[in-house]
Amino acid sequence: MIALSDYLILSSIVFCIGLAGIFINRTNIIMILMCVELILAAVNTNFIAFSFYGSDLSGQIFVFFILTVAAAEVAIGLAILTLMYRNRGSIDIDVTNTLKG
Amino acid sequence: MLDIYLTIVLAPLMGSVIVGLAGNRLGRKISHSITILGVAISTVLSLYVFNHHVLNNADIFNQNIYTWMQIGGLNISVGFLVDNLTAVMLVVVSFVSLMVHIYTIGYMHDDKGYTKFFSYISLFTFAMFTLVISNNFMQLFFGWEAVGLVSYLLIGFWHHKESAIEANLKAFLVNRVGDFGFLLGIAFVLMFFGTLDYAETFSQKELIVGQTLFGDFSAITVVCLLLFIGAMGKSAQVPLHVWLPGSMEGPTPISALIHAATMVTAGIFMVSRMSPLFELSDVALTVVMIIGAITALFMGLLGIVQNDIKKVVAYSTLSQLGYMTVALGVSAYSVAIFHLMTHAFFKALLFLAAGSVIVALHHEQDIRKMGGLRKKMPITYITSLLGTLALIGFPGFAGFYSKDMIIEAVHYSDLPFAGWAYFAVVLGVFITAFYSLRLLFLVFHGKSRVDSHTEEHLHETAPSITVPLVLLAIPSVVIGYFTIEPMLFGGWLENAITIDSSHHALEKLKSHFHSAFALITHSVVTLPFWMMIGGGITAWVFCLYRTDWAEIIQSKFKRINYVLNSLYGFDRFNEIVFVKGALKIGNILWKISDMALIDKLLVNGSAKFTRYLGAFIKPVQTGYVYHYAFFMIVSLMLVLGWVLIASDYSFLS
Amino acid sequence: MITSRNTAKAALWLILTFFSAASLWLLLEAEFLAITLILIYVGAVMVLFMFVIKMLDTDQSTLRAQFTRYLPLGIFVSIVVIVQMALVLNAGPFDLEVVGVPEKHGSSYSNITAIAEQLYTIYVYPFELAAILLLIAIIAAITLVHRNQINSKKQIISEQINVQAKDRMRFATINKDKVKESK
Repeated sequence: MIALSDYLILSSIVFCIGLAGIFINRTNIIMILMCVELILAAVNTNFIAFSFYGSDLSGQIFVFFILTVAAAEVAIGLAILTLMYRNRGSIDIDVTNTLKG
Repeated sequence: MLDIYLTIVLAPLMGSVIVGLAGNRLGRKISHSITILGVAISTVLSLYVFNHHVLNNADIFNQNIYTWMQIGGLNISVGFLVDNLTAVMLVVVSFVSLMVHIYTIGYMHDDKGYTKFFSYISLFTFAMFTLVISNNFMQLFFGWEAVGLVSYLLIGFWHHKESAIEANLKAFLVNRVGDFGFLLGIAFVLMFFGTLDYAETFSQKELIVGQTLFGDFSAITVVCLLLFIGAMGKSAQVPLHVWLPGSMEGPTPISALIHAATMVTAGIFMVSRMSPLFELSDVALTVVMIIGAITALFMGLLGIVQNDIKKVVAYSTLSQLGYMTVALGVSAYSVAIFHLMTHAFFKALLFLAAGSVIVALHHEQDIRKMGGLRKKMPITYITSLLGTLALIGFPGFAGFYSKDMIIEAVHYSDLPFAGWAYFAVVLGVFITAFYSLRLLFLVFHGKSRVDSHTEEHLHETAPSITVPLVLLAIPSVVIGYFTIEPMLFGGWLENAITIDSSHHALEKLKSHFHSAFALITHSVVTLPFWMMIGGGITAWVFCLYRTDWAEIIQSKFKRINYVLNSLYGFDRFNEIVFVKGALKIGNILWKISDMALIDKLLVNGSAKFTRYLGAFIKPVQTGYVYHYAFFMIVSLMLVLGWVLIASDYSFLS
Repeated sequence: MITSRNTAKAALWLILTFFSAASLWLLLEAEFLAITLILIYVGAVMVLFMFVIKMLDTDQSTLRAQFTRYLPLGIFVSIVVIVQMALVLNAGPFDLEVVGVPEKHGSSYSNITAIAEQLYTIYVYPFELAAILLLIAIIAAITLVHRNQINSKKQIISEQINVQAKDRMRFATINKDKVKESK
């Protein structure tokens, strides 16, 4: 039988892959955004696993909201990305260091 | 009687305030009339009080007039204590003050600050009255400080003179040092007795016997010594004497009033008033006696080498104050007050006569430029002669009685070091005679060394100057003869002064005393008489007979001459140690503590530190998003690790 | 996905990942959410991603330069985190013995109905808030990227003030002869 811990380990591995992705692809903003999506997917899986094994439906409701928020966030993130490209001509993160202290 | 006391104290104050505020508008004549009227009223009433208390033996008047302040359980009030001692002091102060007021009409005739001067000397008279008539320590201290303040104002009266400003500051500061000790003494009195009232303190004086302060020191000794430090400052005993010669920068009337007759005697008066306390401590009395003896001898020596007419009289005052202090030390309080009284008269006389000479010679004060004045200024000469004879203790004059009594009292005392004190005061007679007669000879006798222009205008001074001289000469001659017996041995001052039975100098004195006249005849066989004659002859030799011998001796004893001329180095010492020391401390405080520490380190330093911290943290804000992400991830890892470890490794189970 | 050099290929890999996640959710009896994931997430969000990827010019060569520099550190960090998590998750509370396998629901069970029962009664307030949030996202996205003004006449004060006479007026000389000709 598949235990809860298996699902949890799976979701944590995916989470870490997403982290590593952020780490590795730090210069490419689109890659970063996609790795964030990966992390969110892992977390959703976690919630649903708990919802199933705990017979509590609130986990799925929460996933519902997470999906909503993630969609909104992607929309705005891409809008910012477009603006950045329009203003600077590339999506290299090194050019967006004007907040440098 | 209360009204009479109030009038005595307040009349000069009224005069001072009126003239002080409206003097310029009222004009000179009215101003001096108002103030003289005020002091004259006080004089007449003081004589009446004297009659009432001393001659008619009235009761002691001790009453609190007005509650000044109430602190906790302590009640400080303005009150009057009038007993025989007070009555004597009132008469002395008011009479001398009146003489000085009249004298000032002539002396300050040409001065711009005429009305201001009268206002000040009346104010001084008020302050002195307050001091004398007070019945508690606080009011005494108020009067004490007030006379110091007015003395400061008067010494620096000619404030455009640089030397006057330095002198008055010096006087005030040295006085302050004495007041510091005095205040500490008062504080301890309050601590031990719980009250500042005289009557209550003296009635409880047994309380303090046997108590200790600061370890093993007897409390009463410490308190008396501190009170005496105040007296040292005010009455110019060594080492706080340095202000008195400088105070000669002020006009001569105030030298007579303040620095001969009244303010400097405040210290003597205070110790007499505190006699119940001083009697409890032999150590304090010995210290008083020794310091008095030192002052008497060494200040007299300095009078020999002075060339300014007022400075000679100033050192004479210092020496005589030493005599009074010695008398206090051997518990002969009434003798000290007696000498205070006679000295007030003849010293004021000598100062005023000196002022008369100065005015006549158009403000020339160097005695090397005087001489042979007796023909041109007969009244001044005769009164000066009388005053000088009184000062040196010529038999029959007032000073003779008081000085001889002091010497005898010291002789009979058996305090430690009394023998040395006796030697000092006897030698002091010789020295006193020497410098006084030197002054007299150099100024009035011999060839005239006055420059010719001044000599043409030389004449006796105005009556407003000479009348006070005559009026002061009279008591200088006769008052000793008449008052010695009742004052010293007849119990005039009995209800004011307590003497412990172990200090029996006065008792022995009394037992040897026959009558005033007998003292004169007996004097021929006493040592002080021959000392005086010797001093007189020496002065005559050096000043009139062989004037060149003075220079020979001066060149032979160069080092002693140097020591005397530099006033034993007290001024240099004060200047180097205290003045320069204070300046140095101020400098250090300014440079190090203010500039370096507060400005640089704290103020600028905290700004620099904040900036440094900021610069430290600034590189964290790189502006690169992936740096932030990196930090986030690494912190996540660290937090996870921390949680795992902090849970006591339970996950390993 | 994370190691692919082409951003477009990475996006495709991500879509595959979403499909796998959806199938997992189906196994966990979250059917509604699984379908939602595919419809909305893959269907809308990832399409948006593809749009942007193709629209922008992502220069691959400079971006790859930093790749190998941080690879070891990245792998290290992620392995550490995995190990930490595994340590926790492997322990007691999540095992099969503690948390039993719950019963699967019968065929009459409708996941949508069950969610709806909870969503519209207990969680109606967050539901409304989520709707508003989406509205805000729309407005924000449009406002951010919008280039031209839409039908709005706006005054640009600075241009009005900076105007000079030669911009507004032009002196023209009219030849009388030419006018005559056009009679």
